[in-house]
Amino acid sequence: MELSESVQRGLQSLADPSSFDRRSYQVLVDVSFRSLLSSQADPSVLDQPELKQIDQILLKQSHTAATTFILEAVKQNADKSTISSCLEELSFSADRIEIFYSTHQEHRKEVERLLASIGRCPPHIHDASWCLQYHVKNDQVDKINEPFYLISLNTEKERSSDDINFTCTVEQLQIPDVKLLVESSVLQCPGRHNKRQSE
Amino acid sequence: MLLVLSEEHKEHLSFLPRVDSAVVGEFGRIALEFLRRGSSPKIYEGAARKLCVPVETVQRGVEGLMYLMTESSKHMISKVDFLDSVLVLGFGEELNQILLQLYLQHHSEIRSILSQLPSNLPGYHNLEWRLDVQLASRAIRQQVVPVLTMRLLLTGGGDGTGELSRRVLQTDPGTLLHLISTLEGALAAIKTNHARRIFRNIK
Repeated sequence: MELSESVQRGLQSLADPSSFDRRSYQVLVDVSFRSLLSSQADPSVLDQPELKQIDQILLKQSHTAATTFILEAVKQNADKSTISSCLEELSFSADRIEIFYSTHQEHRKEVERLLASIGRCPPHIHDASWCLQYHVKNDQVDKINEPFYLISLNTEKERSSDDINFTCTVEQLQIPDVKLLVESSVLQCPGRHNKRQSE
Repeated sequence: MLLVLSEEHKEHLSFLPRVDSAVVGEFGRIALEFLRRGSSPKIYEGAARKLCVPVETVQRGVEGLMYLMTESSKHMISKVDFLDSVLVLGFGEELNQILLQLYLQHHSEIRSILSQLPSNLPGYHNLEWRLDVQLASRAIRQQVVPVLTMRLLLTGGGDGTGELSRRVLQTDPGTLLHLISTLEGALAAIKTNHARRIFRNIK
């Protein structure tokens, strides 16, 4: 994994027992994962009693380095040996590597989900609503007397939701091929996201 | 059901008995073209010159005829009701029959033209789709995410023209199966006794 000099320096401080003792190291690792996963930025995230003794500038540099490293590791889907050798090179003890890796394993899926949700894509359909109506007449034509559907597709794009509303006839709603096609495609497509995405 | 014609409408149509039946037939043809493709001032000018009457008279006669046809088609009035409605214009029997024939020959076409007028709701036109697998993005590598991308084409672009609006949308296979089962529920609703009872009784 490629890491910038400032990230390497920050991590080296984190590895150093004279800057971070075992307890404060564990706390900083936990806090780093938590600060990535909480939905709102918390300015008091580093206000832990175990971290009070540490030089505040050093603390911030190490926190930044740790969060960058976490994101990079998850982004590249780094395995245990990659993470271990990277941290070893930065003078992390085996014990500290183990602490980091087990916390990483605990939160990995959530960080993955976070990263996967970043980026531009078309509006994503989450749900559909429908109602069946009987069209009696309108201002142009009388005695129409036909059923039709009002469909509403509920979509979401980057936290804002939108509804797409349209009418369709009974014939248009009957698309027999689609279900078979989707079911057969879904069977061919293994993957870690192969289920309905939760909100 | 009888049509109630306004005084102004009757006045516009009063031009028709003053010309012979061939001309009335021609006006009928112009009125239908008006419905299909919109009016053309040149046609009115040409007819006005030939008949030695002002252009407005011809225009109002044609428009009056067109309005008579659209109102009759809109309400799907019967032959008897149509004849009774035009009786009030005081035309001769021959002219009444010409108008009736015009109505009978063209009311289906007129109804279908009226139905195509832009409605106030966007309507389904077509759905194009593709299945892809997302492998990586700027934020994360080594993904295996099946993605269904769709292009939904809707009529009634909102500006009153016949233009189609296009929306690009995405979903995942799990949600798609949920959508399909939701819409299957919609199709089942039309087969219920309740729906059938309504269809039978509202005519």
